[in-house]
Amino acid sequence: MKKTIILLLTICFSVVAFAQTPKDSVQYLDQVVLNDVKLNQNAAGFKVVVLKDSVLDKNTSTFTDLLRFNSNIYFKENGYGMVSSPSFRGTNAAQTAVIWNGISINSILNGQTDFNLINTNNINQVVIRNGGGSVQYGSGAIGGSIHLDNTLNFGSHFTNAIKLNYGSFDTKNLSFVSDYGNDNLAVNIGVNYIDSDNDYKFLGTDQVNTNGAFDNLSLNLNFGYFISQKDVLKLYHQSFLGERAFSGTTVTPSNSKYVDQNFRTMLEWSRSSGSYKSIVKVAHLEENFEYYQNKNSEFFTFGKVSTLLLKHDFNYKLSKTLTLKSILDYNNYKGEGSSFGTPKRSVFSATGLMQYDPSTKLSLGFNLRQDVTTDFKSPLLFSIDGAYNITDFYKIKLNGSKNFRAPTFNDLFWQPGGNLDLIPESSYQLDLGHVVNYKWFQLQLNTFYISTKDQIQWTPNSSGFWGPENVAKTHSYGLEAGLNVTKYFNKHQLKFTSNYSYTVSENAETNKQLIYVPFHKANASIAYSFSKFLMYYQHLFAGSVFTTKDNLKGPFYSLKAYDVANLGFNYKVFKTTEKQLDLGIKVNNVFNEIYQNVAFRPMPNRNFNIQLHYKF
Amino acid sequence: MKKIIYSIVTLSLLVFSCTNDDDTFMSAEPLGAYENGILVIGEGGPSSVSYVSNDFATTENQVYFNVNDENLGVYLQSLGFNDDKAYIVVDAGTITVVNRYTFEKLGTISTGLMTPRFIAFNGDTAYVSDWADPFDSTDDYVAVVDLNSNTVTSTIAVTEGPEQVLVNANKLYVSHKGGYNVNNVISVINTSDSTLETITVNDVPDEMFIDNQGHLLVLNAGANQSWLSPPVETEASITRINLSDNSIITNLEFPAGQHPSLMTYQNGMAYYILNNQVFGLEDAATVLPTTPMFSILTGYSYGLSVRENQLFVSDASFTGNSTLLVYDLTTGAETGAFTTGVGASKIYFN
Repeated sequence: MKKTIILLLTICFSVVAFAQTPKDSVQYLDQVVLNDVKLNQNAAGFKVVVLKDSVLDKNTSTFTDLLRFNSNIYFKENGYGMVSSPSFRGTNAAQTAVIWNGISINSILNGQTDFNLINTNNINQVVIRNGGGSVQYGSGAIGGSIHLDNTLNFGSHFTNAIKLNYGSFDTKNLSFVSDYGNDNLAVNIGVNYIDSDNDYKFLGTDQVNTNGAFDNLSLNLNFGYFISQKDVLKLYHQSFLGERAFSGTTVTPSNSKYVDQNFRTMLEWSRSSGSYKSIVKVAHLEENFEYYQNKNSEFFTFGKVSTLLLKHDFNYKLSKTLTLKSILDYNNYKGEGSSFGTPKRSVFSATGLMQYDPSTKLSLGFNLRQDVTTDFKSPLLFSIDGAYNITDFYKIKLNGSKNFRAPTFNDLFWQPGGNLDLIPESSYQLDLGHVVNYKWFQLQLNTFYISTKDQIQWTPNSSGFWGPENVAKTHSYGLEAGLNVTKYFNKHQLKFTSNYSYTVSENAETNKQLIYVPFHKANASIAYSFSKFLMYYQHLFAGSVFTTKDNLKGPFYSLKAYDVANLGFNYKVFKTTEKQLDLGIKVNNVFNEIYQNVAFRPMPNRNFNIQLHYKF
Repeated sequence: MKKIIYSIVTLSLLVFSCTNDDDTFMSAEPLGAYENGILVIGEGGPSSVSYVSNDFATTENQVYFNVNDENLGVYLQSLGFNDDKAYIVVDAGTITVVNRYTFEKLGTISTGLMTPRFIAFNGDTAYVSDWADPFDSTDDYVAVVDLNSNTVTSTIAVTEGPEQVLVNANKLYVSHKGGYNVNNVISVINTSDSTLETITVNDVPDEMFIDNQGHLLVLNAGANQSWLSPPVETEASITRINLSDNSIITNLEFPAGQHPSLMTYQNGMAYYILNNQVFGLEDAATVLPTTPMFSILTGYSYGLSVRENQLFVSDASFTGNSTLLVYDLTTGAETGAFTTGVGASKIYFN
């Protein structure tokens, strides 16, 4: 029944949307101001998707939810709000880089970012860059990279926004953002607190998620100041303090919890003059975790890493068509933990980027990078990309690159098992994209091929320990399609966005699909607004995934495909030039679908969320 | 252009309207009779029990799920058999009681257990080794279970990391492998008054058997903590203990660097695996054998059992199905290979 409804809805909306002829010339692709200029200037041949604050505002739940409903990325979540790891184009979590204001924040302990430890309330935009990006973003950018950006607004203004959310499972989400600016100064402060009992029902059983409560506090401070007309000083800071009980499974209860503390601070000085721009960044990142197997016990294991980063970008515009750029980057990591001693690592990297735009139609990029690391030898990386405008509305993009993923501290130093002989995973890839940007609709179609060797895998060895080795060779190929349609007619606006991906990601020797990579994934949102009302429907389909490497089907070997949908309403209670109050209601999992994206870890039943958003 | 748009829309509709194939998610038809066969436990997850009939003609994986339409927790640690019942020990803190021949669930023991490992029986009483909080080296115990009510009636505090348990002549023997640490103790508990004695052996005692002379045979794997600085590595050994006075008869030490972890015993002969070679140790031996009986081919041997002329080895995979391998003891030839669950470990005869 529900599938029929969805089908009808989709057809209706599609017909309505396509029946309209374009009446206006609204700009659909807003000019995006990114502080990470590489995303603008050195990614012509890459698929880049921007999720702006209008999309972020609508997401009243986790970062994982934002991305699984709005991108091609597939997520494994150990229950709602728990450890969440992405699969980007069939690669694994350590092959997906997360970039905060231009620098990588993947943990050097496990190579990953837990997407449920990222709070998007204080982020202005999220950029998804599909495909290899190790030349620009270093280790881990194999499947793609996800960029969290804070933008600084100069110009005289002072705005504040308060968001109050209350939802099922006694979920409270409070956020306050204040933004001040004048000609020389921009200040942005954000505070966010989330607290949830997260005790949802395991649908179809009489169990509830008994050990899933979480709370976290995050603080953001961003500051920009023009010292002179040429020089800007910027400061970015983010603190995250979180505590999570770890959900059990349907068959195994849990009594464990994690405490996380992450601090990120970056000072940036940029100087631009005529044909050159120089940016110096100094950053300090700190991550700490404590794991309590028994949350009532005083025993815990811990890990912490402190990272110092120095970076210099130099951009030189030789001519109208040719821009050169160099990046020198030094990272120093100091770790300490219960299971891996006190490892250290220094990485120095040099990158050269050349952007050649011989005509307004053609854009070419040639990039090279070499890392020098204390623990192992890194490969020489390259990337070549190009974009060609065939017509005003049709563009072809092509890129090829070599990327890598460095062994983590866990891989090298975990006791027992750590293997000091590991070398980085290396990966080649090709990506061909088509972009159609035709007045009221945009279509992106990408086909990709990724081949990765020396993949690091943990297996039990003959001495009885689990240890990592450079064993696996994998290849992934597939197709991604994204269609966005926006139609205005009178005061009505209709917006349809959708993503579909077909992904084959195989062990190159056995030709078996990798575990937790669905062949098909699709999502779509339809938003309709009229005057003060906004109504939206989000739908996600994830195909069946294998949970063991044998590629067998059944309850011990695979997870069922699922459809999950959300429905939301927003009402603008009032709006003046200075003040605005929005009331939002959202129903998550509106059809009460029973689904899991990690075996034995059910996701929530139908639940509700109310949001008050006051801007002043 | 319109064609492209329509084809994309059609494509997305097709995707959304895919129907799920639910058939494969139903439990398979259970055999209903699991006597006269071999049971192999799969640690998981998901944990499972596999069955292979003695004549190798019939096999079934996920026996417990097929019969009861529910899953066991992770990680399945061990099985114990008493009369017509089997006890499935899961280290998340539950013991599921089933009819050993039909595998129908009869009950659970969950209160009073934290990290149970192995179970042994003495009349109406069962003894369960339990690490409690594995990070706490001082809270380990043996739970005493009343089998009529399936409840933990008392606990006996023991030293760190109790592993295998064995009842012999009203005494309970507990090998202290050491849990997350290293231990070198066999606890001897008098089942009538719960008094406790200890025997010191080499590090990491694990598998225990009573030999033909009534002596206790223990495999100590030796510490192998290469990651500590300085590394801690101690010799493995096979210890034979006289149970009348808990004295050590022989302690046959392995050369440094050798850490056998699997041993089984049958009628005067212990069998162990070292670097994919099977060795046989006779009861009367005063030195370890130097020539292997035969070689085996496994990725990771995680379980070992012997019956008559057949040696059974679990070749475990933790990312997919494992394999149960059968070898002829006389010729060393592989005579059977059967698919078992994820993380297959111990092998039992039913």
